[in-house]
Amino acid sequence: MSNRFLKLLNFARYKAREMHPRFHRLALCVTASTVLAGLAARACAGELSVTVRSAAGSAVDGALVVAEPAQPAPRPAAAQHAIMDQRNLQFVPDLLVVRTGALIEFPNSDQVRHQVYSFSGAKNFQLPLYAGRTQPPVAFDKPGLVTLGCNIHDNMIGFIYVSDTPWYGRTSADGTLKIRDLPPGDYTLRVWHPLIDETGPQLEQRVVVGENATVTFRLQRALRQPLMHHGADKKWEDY
Amino acid sequence: MGRLLKPAGAPALALATVLALVGAPRVQADELDLSVDLRAVSSDATTSRLNGGLGTLRYDAQHDGLRLGYVRLGYRGELAPTVRVVAEAVAYGDHDVNALDLTEAYADWRPFPSGAWRSRVKVGAFYPEISLENRMRGWRSPYTLTYSAVNTWIGEELRTIGGEYSLDWLGLANGHSWEASASVAAFGWNDPAGTVLATRGWGMTDRQGTLFGRFANGGQPFGSRTVFYDDLDKRPGYYASGVLKWRGLLELRALHYDNRARLGVEAPQIRDATWLTRFESVGLRLTPSEHLTLVGQWLHGRTFEDQLPNRNAWSYAGSFALASWKQGPWRWSARWDRFDVRQTESSFEYLPFLTASDGHAWTASVDRALGEHWHATVECVRSDSSNLLRPYLGQAVAQREQQWQLALRWER
Repeated sequence: MSNRFLKLLNFARYKAREMHPRFHRLALCVTASTVLAGLAARACAGELSVTVRSAAGSAVDGALVVAEPAQPAPRPAAAQHAIMDQRNLQFVPDLLVVRTGALIEFPNSDQVRHQVYSFSGAKNFQLPLYAGRTQPPVAFDKPGLVTLGCNIHDNMIGFIYVSDTPWYGRTSADGTLKIRDLPPGDYTLRVWHPLIDETGPQLEQRVVVGENATVTFRLQRALRQPLMHHGADKKWEDY
Repeated sequence: MGRLLKPAGAPALALATVLALVGAPRVQADELDLSVDLRAVSSDATTSRLNGGLGTLRYDAQHDGLRLGYVRLGYRGELAPTVRVVAEAVAYGDHDVNALDLTEAYADWRPFPSGAWRSRVKVGAFYPEISLENRMRGWRSPYTLTYSAVNTWIGEELRTIGGEYSLDWLGLANGHSWEASASVAAFGWNDPAGTVLATRGWGMTDRQGTLFGRFANGGQPFGSRTVFYDDLDKRPGYYASGVLKWRGLLELRALHYDNRARLGVEAPQIRDATWLTRFESVGLRLTPSEHLTLVGQWLHGRTFEDQLPNRNAWSYAGSFALASWKQGPWRWSARWDRFDVRQTESSFEYLPFLTASDGHAWTASVDRALGEHWHATVECVRSDSSNLLRPYLGQAVAQREQQWQLALRWER
C-alpha cells in the first residue's frame, strides 16, 4: 500500500472530523478496514515458479520472465537509476531490465570511444562518440525491448527491457526463477532471451496467481550461438 | 602523388597532417597511439627485396642483428559527431627517403543508422577492406610479425587514394544473426601497382609502403625506383567488395580490383610507366571459440605493362592458411603461404625467357603479453622459393631462406 494512498486516507479522515464526529468515526473505520485489507492481500501474495527449457529439454540460463498484471501496475514514485556499462567492446550487462521512466547512464569503461545508438520503437536515441562518463543519463519512458548498438563497433549489441511492471527476473543456471509478492490476480507471463530465435505463442502464458503458481516454458527452437567477441583493447581495429 | 612532393617535404607533410588533425575542431578528446617495436634478427636469407635483391624476406644475412621493427604514431579524432578522422604514420629506420611517413590518412563518415541499413563514406588514403589478417591499428597483424605473402603485397603496393562508399545491413541490431556489407570505391594514384610483384615476385615482410616513400634501396635487374602511389594516366580505378558476417564467428570477404590504368603512359622522372592491374580476392575467417582463430585468403590476378606489341603481362596467385590459439597472455600462431608469379607475355629483348617465381613458406610465432603495454614475440619464417631472375644477381634460382626474430613491442 503506497504512502501516498495512506496520506490520502488520513487527509479524508481529518476533513471528515472537521465536518462531523460521526463522519470521523466512519473514516476511522474505513482506514482500519483498508489497512487490514492491504495486510491481508500481502499475507496471501502469491509466488510464481517459472522454468524455461530449451527445445532439447535443457535448462535455459538468463531468460527474462515478465509478469504483466491484467490491471496496470502502479508506477514507481521516483525514477529508477541504472547503468549500462561498455567494457571490452561489450555492453555490460548484456540485458538490463528497468521500470518505465528509468534514467540510464552509459559510461564507457573502454580505452576506445564508442558511439551508442538505438533505433528501437521503445527508444530511439544516439550518443556522440565519447569516452568515460561524459554523457548525461537517458530517460526510457516507453515499455518494450530496446536494442543497443555502437556505430563504430558493429559487433557490440546490448539490450534494455523497459517494463511496466515490477514483477520480472532472469532464470538461473538451472532454468528456474521465482517471482515473489505478486498480488492475487490474472497475469500474462512473457519470456525472452538475448539469444532467442523464435516468436510465437509458446513465449506467452496466462496464469492466475492465488497463492502459488508453477509455469514451464518450452522453447521450440535452439538458442542462437553466443556472439563471439574479438580483440578487447585499443590495439584492435577491424573494418 | 609521390612526384608532386619533394621527398624532403614528405615527412614534414606527414607530421603536419597528424598535427593538423590533432589541432582540428573536435567534440571529444582524441586518441593518440604510439607503438615501438625493436627486433633481434637472425637471418640466412639472400639479399632482401627491400635491399634491392630478390629474397622474399624483410631481413637478410647482411641486414640482421638488432633492428628497428617500426615506430608507429596513430591518431583518431572527430571532425563532426559522425565524421571520424584517422591518420597513421610509421618509421621503419631503413632505406626509405622519409624517416617518418604516412601509411593512411582519411575521414570516415558514418551517420547513425535509423533502421537496418547504414551508409558509410571514406575519403582519403586507406587500405581496401580486404585483409582478414591485418586487424590491429596501423594495419598490423596480431598473429605474426611477418604478414602473409598476399597481405605483404597489399601493404606494399595497394592503397585506396580516393573515396569508398559502403552500404551495411545491420542484421545483429535487428535481431538477426547475419550482417552484410557491400562497397565500391574509386581511386587514383595507384598506376604503378603491380610493378613490385612482377619484377621481384611475392615477398613476406611487415614493411608497408608509405604514401610518399619508395620501394627498395637500389635493385637489379629492374632499376631502383618505385614510387608507390602515382597517377600517371588521370583515369580512376575502382574496386567492388562484399562482406558477410555471422555472429562474430564467421567472416567472408570478396573483392574485385581494377586500377584501369591506360597502358603506355610513362613517367621518366620516376622511371616508370602505368601498370594495368586486376585481381580477385576471397577470404574467410572462422572463430569457433574464444581461443581459436582460423584465417584463409586467396588472391589471383593479372598485371600488364605497356601497349601491344611491346606489352608485358604476368599472372599471379597467392594464398595462405593461418591458425592461431590464444590462451591467457599467450598467442601461438602458424601459417602456410603459397605464391606464384608467371610472365605470360614479354617484350624484354635482354631476357630470353619468360620470368617466373614461386614458392611456399611456413611461419610460426609465439607472442606473450607482458602487462598492459608490452609484448614479446618470437617468430621463425622459412621460405622455399625459386626465381628465374636470381642468376642475374649471381644466385641460384632456388633458395631456402630462414629468418628468426625476437621482437619487443611497447605501445600505449
